[in-house]
Amino acid sequence: MAELDDIIHQPLRLKIMAALNVLHPAQGLDFPRLKKLTGATDGNLGAHIETLAKAGYVSVEKAFVGKKPQTTVTATATGRAAFARHVATLREIIAAAEGK
Amino acid sequence: MINSQEASAALMEIESLSRLVRQSVFYRHASTMLILWGVATFIGYLLSFFAPAAAPVIWSVVIVAGVICAIIIGGLNKKRQGVSTFDARATAAFIAFVAFGCLWSMVFGTMTIRQIAAFWTTYFMLPYVMTGFWFGRVFVVIGMSVIALTLLGYFLAGPWFTLWMAVVNGGGLLLGGLWMRRS
Repeated sequence: MAELDDIIHQPLRLKIMAALNVLHPAQGLDFPRLKKLTGATDGNLGAHIETLAKAGYVSVEKAFVGKKPQTTVTATATGRAAFARHVATLREIIAAAEGK
Repeated sequence: MINSQEASAALMEIESLSRLVRQSVFYRHASTMLILWGVATFIGYLLSFFAPAAAPVIWSVVIVAGVICAIIIGGLNKKRQGVSTFDARATAAFIAFVAFGCLWSMVFGTMTIRQIAAFWTTYFMLPYVMTGFWFGRVFVVIGMSVIALTLLGYFLAGPWFTLWMAVVNGGGLLLGGLWMRRS
C-alpha cells in the first residue's frame, strides 16, 4: 500500500488541496475565499499555504486589483497528482479494512 | 498509518469541501448573470412603463443586448479562468427556451400585454427553480419569490403593474445576484 502524503495529510492542508483540486487547472482561489471555505485564521492559512508552496503543490500569485493587494492560490500539476495519490491511498486503507 | 475510520473521515471532509467549492464557484458565475439580467429587466420594464407602445422594440433590444453581454462575460471568464459561463451549448439552450416561449405566447397564444409580462417572468423563473434543486436552494427561493410577487402584482398592482415588475423582477434578480456574490 502506498504511503499517505505527510504534507497533504495535515487537516488544514487537506482542506486547502481539496478546495483547489475541484477547480479548473488555470483557476485559483483568493485568500479571503480560501479562508472562508476552510474556516482557518489568517496566520494559520498563510503558514500552511507556504508549506504547500514549498513542496511545489500550490502556486501563489500576488497582484493588485485596483489598489487592493490580492493573493491567489492555485494547485499545480504536481499538487494535483499528489492529492490524487493521497485520495487513492485513503480509499485503499478503507478497502483493506473492509477486506476487499 | 491511519485507520479506516480516520481515512473515511478524511474522504468525507474532502467530499464536503469539494461540494462547497463547486457551489461557491457556481454561485459566483451565476451571480454575474443574475445581476446582468436584473439590470436588463429593470431597464426593459421601466422603459415599457413610460413608452408602452414601444414595448416590443424595447424588449427585443434588451434581450439581444443581454445575450451579447452574457456571451462577452462568458468569453472573458474563459480567458481569465479557463471556465466558460456562457458557451455555445448555453446559447443554444437559451435560444430554444426563448423560441418555445415565443411560440406559445405570440404564435399560438392570444395574450394581453399584461399576461405576456407575467408569462415571461414566471417562465424565466422556472429554470431558476429547477436549477435550485441541484445547485442551491437560493435559486429556488429567488425563483419562487419572483413568481409569487409577479402573480401578486398581476392581480393587485392595477395600472402600476409594469413598474411593479421593474422593481420585483429586475430588482429581485439584482438583489439575488448581489447576495450570491457575498455568500
